[in-house]
Amino acid sequence: MLRALRIYSAVMLLLIIVAFPLYWMALTSFKPQTEVFRTPPTFLPETWTLRHYAELFWLTDFGLLFLNSLKVCLLSTGLALIVGSLGAYALARFRVPGKESYGRLVLIAYMFPGALLIIPLMLLFRQLGLTNSHLGLSLAYLTFSVPFVMWVMRDFFASVPVDLEEAALIDGATRLGALWDVVLPQAVPGLIATGIFAFLFAWNEYLFALILISDEGLRTLPPGMMRFVSTTDTNWGLIMAASTLATLPMAIAFGLVQRYLVTGLGAGGVKG
Amino acid sequence: MAGVHIERLHKEFHSTGSSAVHALDDLTLDIADGEFISLVGPSGCGKSTALRIIAGLETPTSGRILFDGRDITALEPRDRNIAMVFQSYALYPHMSVRQNLEYGLKKRGVPSAERARAVASIAAMLQIEPMLDRRPRQLSGGQRQRVALGRALIRDPEVFLLDEPLSNLDAKLRVHMRAELGALHQKLKTTMIYVTHDQLEAMTLSDRIVVMNHGVMQQVGTPEEIYSRPANRFVAEFIGTPSMNMIEGEISTEGDTAHFAAPGLHLKLPKAPAFRGRATLGIRPEDIALVEPEAPGAILAQVTVSELAGAERYHFVTMGASPVILRTPATTMLRPGESIALALNPQHLHLFAGVGEDAAAMR
Repeated sequence: MLRALRIYSAVMLLLIIVAFPLYWMALTSFKPQTEVFRTPPTFLPETWTLRHYAELFWLTDFGLLFLNSLKVCLLSTGLALIVGSLGAYALARFRVPGKESYGRLVLIAYMFPGALLIIPLMLLFRQLGLTNSHLGLSLAYLTFSVPFVMWVMRDFFASVPVDLEEAALIDGATRLGALWDVVLPQAVPGLIATGIFAFLFAWNEYLFALILISDEGLRTLPPGMMRFVSTTDTNWGLIMAASTLATLPMAIAFGLVQRYLVTGLGAGGVKG
Repeated sequence: MAGVHIERLHKEFHSTGSSAVHALDDLTLDIADGEFISLVGPSGCGKSTALRIIAGLETPTSGRILFDGRDITALEPRDRNIAMVFQSYALYPHMSVRQNLEYGLKKRGVPSAERARAVASIAAMLQIEPMLDRRPRQLSGGQRQRVALGRALIRDPEVFLLDEPLSNLDAKLRVHMRAELGALHQKLKTTMIYVTHDQLEAMTLSDRIVVMNHGVMQQVGTPEEIYSRPANRFVAEFIGTPSMNMIEGEISTEGDTAHFAAPGLHLKLPKAPAFRGRATLGIRPEDIALVEPEAPGAILAQVTVSELAGAERYHFVTMGASPVILRTPATTMLRPGESIALALNPQHLHLFAGVGEDAAAMR
């Protein structure tokens, strides 16, 4: 009982530390400009206002930034899942020489700092005409998301019994058909988990988005929101409103797929 | 339906850094159309490798496989018109029983009305109609086994492959499913290739049995042949429970008569074999009889322990210096330590030239 109490209070403390900035962000977005910097601070707005949200949509191009981000993130997540899953499947199933060292190399690629990649990537993309393009930015994000997807999905695929696939091959499926019909459905929790991660990474990414996209109409949220900060004046209410809206899709997505992250679908088909 | 011709099949596995492992060594075998043949042997004997090569899941290092004269060695599994039942059943966990059954038909482009008819008839045959809309994990072991059989049967394959299909069932259900499988083969007359490590399954179900060890075929023949005329010591010991008693000794001749001598045991052989020297004498537990000590040729022995196995009793005795098991009706009671006299049935002595497991039988 006492043990449970101790654990719960530790968890509560951690929760407060993690959640407070989010709470403060959401709160500030509903405070009028005059209340934002008041000392002592108000923990609930005295006057609630939706002015910042209105300004966000009428006075800035937040809507466009949001759509651009969504487009890039969906594209890069989709590509990462396709390329990463196929790669992971090959690593999990096929007898390829040098497979193990390649598997480790993938992990190293994932650990590589992005700041070191951006210059060569920029030069390469300029030659290929991929700068100022959402496809280009999505491809750049694959440098991080594909290794991650491969690393995680490899274990997921390895845990799917080979028998299932072989049964499908004998039943008349091709290799890809068996992967699609039988293996991927067993790996759905993995796909969702890695998909969310790839999306989150792309959604929050700042450096690549800033450097590879210079066309204002193509900007994504993180560098786009930076323009709300100026040297003379920063409209914190506006920034907090934008941040709240930018956080919302991820929060909703997590809520929806939470159960997939926890439960496995594979139980019961093999043995008992 | 098809006859299967396996020609000089060879399979080596290479693992990094070590030498090749011969999983299958020069297997040649003819399986008649409609035959039920079992590949039996201890784990690692190559029986599963052989089956997987026939299925197309492994590529042979060399050799060919022909179905009714057609060379199918290079074909993908889906182009071979085979069906396979896996030890794990390998039912697709995310599909209902119905979807599991019709998956193969769907992949072959069979229209849905026809699929529904096929599912209905298979489900009726295997008595799984009430479960059609359930998922595999909601079924018992026996039901999963039936669904796995149904999924294989529904396509009406030319060759039916079964990889230890009963080994995950409990003992009672296994006996029941074994009988069902036998009845099914009687009814369908499809060529069936059955892999098992359980010699009893092989004995009861098969038209012919292939005994394998270390990737090499040891003997092929009807269950009767394999049991009563094992080709070598390995087959003799592998087939039959309790297994055949083996006594290592020496064969010598004196004029016209041959003798088998082992420590504490001297036996006159009914006919003189051509072989002299180190040899193994084999005798099945049921071919040893309890006799009066005065009977001619009686061999004295001491009882170590007796075990009751339902209708019969197994007695572990020491005959000369050799441990031997004899089988008697359950009513025969022997006390540990008791001295008894035994007679070996001279018609059922098995002599093997040498003492290793590959020692060949002398005829």
